[in-house]
Amino acid sequence: MPAAARTDRRRPAVAAVRRLPEFLTIWVPLLLSAGHLISFALWTIWVSFTPSTLVPVSGWVGLRNYTAMVATRNWQIAFDNLLVFGSGFVLLSVLMGLLLAILLDQRIRGENVFRSIFLYPLAVSFVVTGTVWSWLLNPGIGIQKLVNGLGWTSFRFDWLIDREMAIWTIVIAAIWQSSGFAMALFLAGLRSVDPDLIKAAQIDGAGPIRMYRRVILPTLWPITVTVVVIQLQFAITTFDLVRALTGGGPGTATQLPALVVYDFMFQRGLLARGAAAAVLMLLILLAVLLPYAAWRYLQRRQSAHA
Amino acid sequence: MNKITRRAMLASTTGLIAAPRLARAQAVKPRLTVISQWSAGSDGAAISALGKKFEEKGGTWQHSPVPGFTTEMMNKLRAQIMAGDPPACSQLKGPEIAAWSKIAATVNLDALVAAAGYEKVVAPDLARLHKPGGKWISLPLQIYSTNMLFLSKRAMDKAKADRIPVTWAEFNALAENMKAGGVTYPIANGGTRPDDGQKFEAALAGISPAAYRAGMMTLDETALKGPEVKAAFAQVRRIADWMDPNTAAQHYSINLPRFVAGDMGMMIQGGWAQGVLLNAGFKLDDFIIAPGPCDNGKPVFLLNADAFIFWQRKEPDLQAGQTLMAQLVMDPAIQTMYSQITGSIPVRTDVDLSGAGWSDGQRRTAAALKEAVAANQAVLSLAHNMAQENGMTAAIIDVLTEYVKNKAMTPDQGVARLSNAVEGAR
Amino acid sequence: MRETTFTPNRLLVYLAVLLLAAAYLVPLLVVVLNSLRTSEEIAQTSMIGWPKQWAWGNYVIAWGDFCIAQTCAGIRPYMLNSALVTLPATLISTLLGSVAGYAVSLWRFRGDRWIYGVVALGIFLPQQMRLLPWTVVLRDLNLTNTLTGLVMIHTIQGLSFTTLFCRNYYVAIPQELIRAARIDGAGFYRVFWRIVLPLSPPILIVTVIWQFTHIWNEFLYGVTFTTGQQQPVTAALIALSASVADIPQHGVQSAAVMIAALPTLLVYLFGGRYFVRGLTAGAVK
Repeated sequence: MPAAARTDRRRPAVAAVRRLPEFLTIWVPLLLSAGHLISFALWTIWVSFTPSTLVPVSGWVGLRNYTAMVATRNWQIAFDNLLVFGSGFVLLSVLMGLLLAILLDQRIRGENVFRSIFLYPLAVSFVVTGTVWSWLLNPGIGIQKLVNGLGWTSFRFDWLIDREMAIWTIVIAAIWQSSGFAMALFLAGLRSVDPDLIKAAQIDGAGPIRMYRRVILPTLWPITVTVVVIQLQFAITTFDLVRALTGGGPGTATQLPALVVYDFMFQRGLLARGAAAAVLMLLILLAVLLPYAAWRYLQRRQSAHA
Repeated sequence: MNKITRRAMLASTTGLIAAPRLARAQAVKPRLTVISQWSAGSDGAAISALGKKFEEKGGTWQHSPVPGFTTEMMNKLRAQIMAGDPPACSQLKGPEIAAWSKIAATVNLDALVAAAGYEKVVAPDLARLHKPGGKWISLPLQIYSTNMLFLSKRAMDKAKADRIPVTWAEFNALAENMKAGGVTYPIANGGTRPDDGQKFEAALAGISPAAYRAGMMTLDETALKGPEVKAAFAQVRRIADWMDPNTAAQHYSINLPRFVAGDMGMMIQGGWAQGVLLNAGFKLDDFIIAPGPCDNGKPVFLLNADAFIFWQRKEPDLQAGQTLMAQLVMDPAIQTMYSQITGSIPVRTDVDLSGAGWSDGQRRTAAALKEAVAANQAVLSLAHNMAQENGMTAAIIDVLTEYVKNKAMTPDQGVARLSNAVEGAR
Repeated sequence: MRETTFTPNRLLVYLAVLLLAAAYLVPLLVVVLNSLRTSEEIAQTSMIGWPKQWAWGNYVIAWGDFCIAQTCAGIRPYMLNSALVTLPATLISTLLGSVAGYAVSLWRFRGDRWIYGVVALGIFLPQQMRLLPWTVVLRDLNLTNTLTGLVMIHTIQGLSFTTLFCRNYYVAIPQELIRAARIDGAGFYRVFWRIVLPLSPPILIVTVIWQFTHIWNEFLYGVTFTTGQQQPVTAALIALSASVADIPQHGVQSAAVMIAALPTLLVYLFGGRYFVRGLTAGAVK
């Protein structure tokens, strides 16, 4: 056994002091982060039970803010939209990222240039993205007008003003913005597939499609999880992009929880109602994350026993 | 050693005696910290000009514009108030003045207002907003009308029209004529939330100012379910049908080129649209401005007024700054300067607009205000947060904007949703 | 090296990549073109179009001339403010995140999984829930309206992402390496300095790029917690577009957007290859 450990065992006080800097280095940043997260969440929960309007005040109103919020049309629309948008966006952006990565993995010429082209949208601020796409998707000035002008006069791409389809315009803009990140992750994964496995599959006579299905895509599974997590975070908290692209419209058709929270907390001067909406948003999130965490926990237990 | 010490002591004592008087003389130099959302365009130019006048009178002007719209400004104001450091003066308007005055201490301006005789020259409905609790705490600075009718000269020619419509029936007839004459979209309004609110409030106030007062300003339940509100919804449906569907939720300024070219006919906008048209390079000859349609013969004026509210500060220089600012804001010369820059009309009803710096549009607006006040038809704009607090306004506009965008919604459904929304937000 | 077996379909691949690349470039093209058109032309024709006359002057105005209230210095001073906030916050949060990620994944200690879980979940906490609490914190620490306060906010908030990224990268480092070093007597810092840090550049670059972009483009806190001349560049950009009584100055605004986006664009342009490399799982074999 190393000398240092033996000495420490006999003089615990000295050991503790010697390890103080390490202790602080580990715990101070983590506690600052965890501490601020927990306290802010608790603060918001507290506010949601008060009658706060313009500024936080104390008081207790029970579940009144929650019942009012759930009964608000904007929230109901936002909740439905989150389900559609969340699942649609996460699925499509994963697929798009995978597609771009597979394409770039083909060792094409100018790969660096193409990679930069797919990555640069990440550098653009959400407000700019939303604004530019609001022009592009506007039937009167954007893509529809261009295609009509080129001769295909019956072409229609007016999702932006269509109350049913407007949510998908947000999906388009969001995919443009963030699929580069998914692509980068998948590309890294594709490039790190074990060459021995590939060789083995080739020896077995697997064609390109089977190679992908049997060897490569399974290797990408952990990366897919990371991508889904990051994209889910984007879907739930996205606010600037939607505000700039549709403003929650047409009418109230593209309301999303993040917009409702901001709107009620700050625009309408109804802090407590907005806080209730924020807590509801977190509950929705938990409803998605908890089953996943439980599943992972079970998986770990299984592999520990196996 | 002793002599020096005694002399030093004497010197320091005289210094001590002189210091308070010096400090008092220095404390008089007025200083003002201001928060507003007016960082650019003619708003920014106007408040900068006001700042220059403040400095000409010997004050230090510290204006901190918050980029964005009213919400960002209110966020900043709220953060400052929560930090215990409210600005000496900030922009605020409408019933929000009463709401915000409850969360931080404000300055009682009664003495200054009385000295300037301001109350006599301000429209009573407007004055009420700035005296929550009976004492003046804020001062209105400029007035816009939100229901001016803009007509495209070329579109009028296409419709072979020579009369400006006065009632909603004439308005509708003109729109039909325009359509028949080849104007693709008779209405050039935009699709933003305030714009949708403007359409409705212009319709309701034009149909019956009394119903508007009862319904939108007092939130009387019977009025909200009454026939005038239903008729207003029907009028809004007509207006919406005459608009370009591609406008979606965009600002009306994208329609201006077609409006001027005669491809779009009319706009119900605030008086500020004149400034926007001119700044976009169009000419006064291209359009006509008239008061919005009103069915009972006398003009109705939908008021939107900006104001400054004064927050209590202990520092004597800030207090002096507040006094100076209040005096400037009430000064007719300053109001003239301000309104000439932004295109609004002054709050004071005793300002003469016949001079060279005023446009015909402004003169017509001021005349309309005078007549409307006399006929008790000067009402507060809902769409611009003058009639109700932000929460209630937003709840109402939720219904209005959905109604405009959803062609399947009937006026009856609109009425039902409206009263639900009002009840839910009470 | 994997052999490519897609030769017959190569044309299809190139076609797909070219089409997609063109689609991804269109928004950038629109902004660049708008930055070279006059605001009047944009107002009189359409948001999307080819310049009739090339308004290079937009860039000059955007950089040094346009006025926000009474200050007419363009966006130059605000770019500096953004840099003063973004660079320290990025570097500090990356450093702390890498140490924290190392601590929870390799060094291990009691409760590490729990605290890491809370920290990582923090990425989901929306901005709106943080605005007012930060107001209170800044007030109590006397940092209202200071750039330092903003740096502090971004650093602490950034820890969620940086710890997440670094930890997920470090788990691929075999525990035997660490164990062997500890047996040899190496302590917390020595292991980090000698073993973990040399393996970190890929993930550190990813983290720096991510943090830089997010902090540079951030708007809400920048506007609420600073004032006047100290505001970051995102605030200045909004000032160009928000005015009731005027048409938005689209030409100059687009030029300003391009200038403001330049740092982040350059970061992705030059860092892009490291970005991908850094995300390579199993960097240590």
